[in-house]
Amino acid sequence: MMINTCSMAISFAKELENDSANFYKELSQRFSKERDLFLSFVKENEKYVMQIERAYYGVITDAIEGCFAFNIDPKDYVIRTDLTEGESYFEALDRAIKIEEIISRFYSDAAEQSKSLMADVPRAFRLVAKKRANRQEKLKSLLEKEEG
Amino acid sequence: MAILEEPIKEVLELKNYINGEWVESKSKEVWDVVNPATQKPLAKVPMSTNDEVIQAIEAAKEAFLEWRRTPPLARARCLFRLKELLENNFEYLSRIQTMEHGKTIDESRGETRRGIEMVEVATGIPSLMMGYNLEDIAVGIDEAVVYQPLGVFAHIAPFNFPFMVPLWYSPFALATGNTFIVKPSPRDPISQVKLAELIEEAGFPPGVYNVVHGGAEVASTLIEHPDIKGVTFVGTTAIGREVYKKCGETCKRAIVQGSAKNFLVVMPDTNVEATIPALMTSFFGNTGQRCLSGANLVIVGEDDGFYRNFLDAFLDATSKIRVGYGLDETIQMGPMQSVDGKERVMRYIEMGIKENAKLIIDGRKPTIVGDYPDTCFLNPTVFENVTPNMTIAREEIFGPVASVMRAKDLDQAIEMIHGNNFGNAASIFTTSGRAAREFQYRVQCGNIGINIGIVAPMAFFPFSGMKDSFFGVLHGQGRDAIRFFTESKVVIERWF
Repeated sequence: MMINTCSMAISFAKELENDSANFYKELSQRFSKERDLFLSFVKENEKYVMQIERAYYGVITDAIEGCFAFNIDPKDYVIRTDLTEGESYFEALDRAIKIEEIISRFYSDAAEQSKSLMADVPRAFRLVAKKRANRQEKLKSLLEKEEG
Repeated sequence: MAILEEPIKEVLELKNYINGEWVESKSKEVWDVVNPATQKPLAKVPMSTNDEVIQAIEAAKEAFLEWRRTPPLARARCLFRLKELLENNFEYLSRIQTMEHGKTIDESRGETRRGIEMVEVATGIPSLMMGYNLEDIAVGIDEAVVYQPLGVFAHIAPFNFPFMVPLWYSPFALATGNTFIVKPSPRDPISQVKLAELIEEAGFPPGVYNVVHGGAEVASTLIEHPDIKGVTFVGTTAIGREVYKKCGETCKRAIVQGSAKNFLVVMPDTNVEATIPALMTSFFGNTGQRCLSGANLVIVGEDDGFYRNFLDAFLDATSKIRVGYGLDETIQMGPMQSVDGKERVMRYIEMGIKENAKLIIDGRKPTIVGDYPDTCFLNPTVFENVTPNMTIAREEIFGPVASVMRAKDLDQAIEMIHGNNFGNAASIFTTSGRAAREFQYRVQCGNIGINIGIVAPMAFFPFSGMKDSFFGVLHGQGRDAIRFFTESKVVIERWF
């Protein structure tokens, strides 16, 4: 099912944020050495949901193309968030980077598609995409440390 | 993605809100309010008696005496509290609108937001209501103008934006110190009841805001009563003309917003990719049931290739619109609000066929997402080869029907617009500043869009309208509303 409406795009973004937050919660429990960092990601995710919802609820009006602003296939942004029993710290970090890449891509694509139609929503999407890119860098440096 | 939870779980028995009390009507005549998508009953609404309307008018008249003396800042504080309550109930109010009207959840949220914006703007009343003065108009003599409220105002609400339209007026009326009576549309009055509950909670004194349910009889009593100082009405031009006439006869102020037939003009240099979604929203948003909807799509130019390509893109997008229950987030167009509305649209489609317009997308046998009765549903309809003299090009259909026309140049497109009796809105889609400037300068419509599908003015601008789309002088919203709801009083003073 394609995402066409703004409501659906916002719900999907929330789903990605919540699923990835749950993933980081589990990481924080399993790998205590970066517990605080992973928990800070969980908090950030909550903040992103709030920012996006605030942008959406603040500008949605009958005059903008709320029902026709997107053409996104959610299948392109599927994230795997379940940790298997024996998954190592290294593998988990690798997975986290992939999750962040996918989420970041979703926000960038959604912002691009709706940029000429919606008001502040694409800006909120771009902002979160940028934050997720920064997070990717943090995760990559952890991974490199682990490799080293 | 699931269907969002319905906030109305049982059939509501709606009451009037008069003098700060929720009062059961004594009327025996009760209408059913039905969810147009599911056909499930939502509420029972009374057709109030004449006595009940009079009670509301008397309560509002009495309340005016104190309310007008309440400092504007204190009145604004009531509005600030209301704004907060509206934000807290945003989703609840939006879902109610989808249930009672049928519009999609994005559209309902948009309606809620627009309603709240009116309240926000009206909170600026201490500044907005200021008069002006000049010292020494003659030596030692000063002159000033102050703006004063008039008394009781009434609003006759339409069904198409059941929550928002009364808010085009009531926050401004209340902020300026007037009292207010709203008669919601009996087709979808629930969100107005919920709004009144929040107004009560916000601390507006009894009698300042009143809700009386009913139909034409209630409206007539309000319009004709000598203690009503002004009426705001949104509906059809035919009824609006009568309302305006009656207001004139009884010396009332009036804002009457009527029907529309809006032209969307597409120039050959337009950005097609960005234009198509704007057109979808314009023609099919709110299932075409709004006075700002696109109705006639005029494709300009003699280039058959551009015409064909643009039309194909329009038809492709139209044919993909998902129609169903608005609480399903995947839905892009909901049902018509009523069976009557659907039947009216069907009659116009038949008329279009009879007058030899080419029916290229026929929405009469709807495909619906989900298992819902087709009672009120239609799919989008598109006619090609429509000419300005055809009924479907002249009259307001108020449904999801697009009539495609061709014009050889911008001049001819503007002529087509001017040939129509209505003048609510018109839009041009172009990348040419010159064409856009020419369009906005010449077109005789109250709301002009440049690369905008729905030209809905923000709360701090007037909701304009011309020709048969508007009767009155001042408009709703913004500074016009402040002037409409106040009388200017001049004071000239000299001290011996």
